[in-house]
Amino acid sequence: MTCDELYRRLTDHAEGVLEGDVCREVERHLADCSACSAIRRDLEDLSRLCREKASIHLPSGVRRRIEGLLASTA
Amino acid sequence: MIPPSPAVGASHPANREALSQALVDHGDRLYSLALRITRDRDLAADAVQEAFATALQRASGFRGESSIGTWLHRIVYTKSIDLLRARGREAPLVDEDKAPPGSEDDRVGGAPTWSRPPDEILLGSETREALERALAQITPMQRLVFELREVEGRDTDEVAGILDLPPGTVRVHLHRGRMRLRGLLSQHFRGAVA
Repeated sequence: MTCDELYRRLTDHAEGVLEGDVCREVERHLADCSACSAIRRDLEDLSRLCREKASIHLPSGVRRRIEGLLASTA
Repeated sequence: MIPPSPAVGASHPANREALSQALVDHGDRLYSLALRITRDRDLAADAVQEAFATALQRASGFRGESSIGTWLHRIVYTKSIDLLRARGREAPLVDEDKAPPGSEDDRVGGAPTWSRPPDEILLGSETREALERALAQITPMQRLVFELREVEGRDTDEVAGILDLPPGTVRVHLHRGRMRLRGLLSQHFRGAVA
């Protein structure tokens, strides 16, 4: 497997959807190739960065209006 | 198009109770979905409110083929797109990235590897701002898929269900988005202390 072939499979590998043989080939390549394993670390850092983003909440006023809508049809 | 509804008769109180519980269980995530599509707090609020109104109207046809949460997500998605179109955005989530296979997105070496940033840099406010700028530069579909998957932690099948896309297509958008963001953020991390 070339570096470009691996590059195209990194997300499928992270998602766990690669077939067994291909998956093992990807893991062998990552173990042997510092450039590709560095890219994988970049993507892992990107995921960490995103998980730390603040969560979004439905504004209380909107929630109250929907509650009113549901109550008004009772 | 509003998806077919998934349970009990419209006049049955279980509908209102189920929808009230869905508001508790899914309200934040429904609003988050609308906000990520519309990028506008008022439009997102309208989308969620209209979605619940539509759900009430269509409750009689709810057949239980999907969960009420999934059904509401599909309605919010559709409402969000409709509201954007009403604002003059004909194809709000068009994926303009026409990069063919073999382009920079598909090759190693398109962007320098990040220096290994310590957590105070990786998770700092400047990096968050850089991420927001980078997200604004990828296609709307890549950004939506990336945010639903990576920021909100929804699994790929759920994202595929919301967007009515095959999971494989979701992974293609996700891959392109991740690689573009990695490239765009490499400038930010250049010089970060390893």
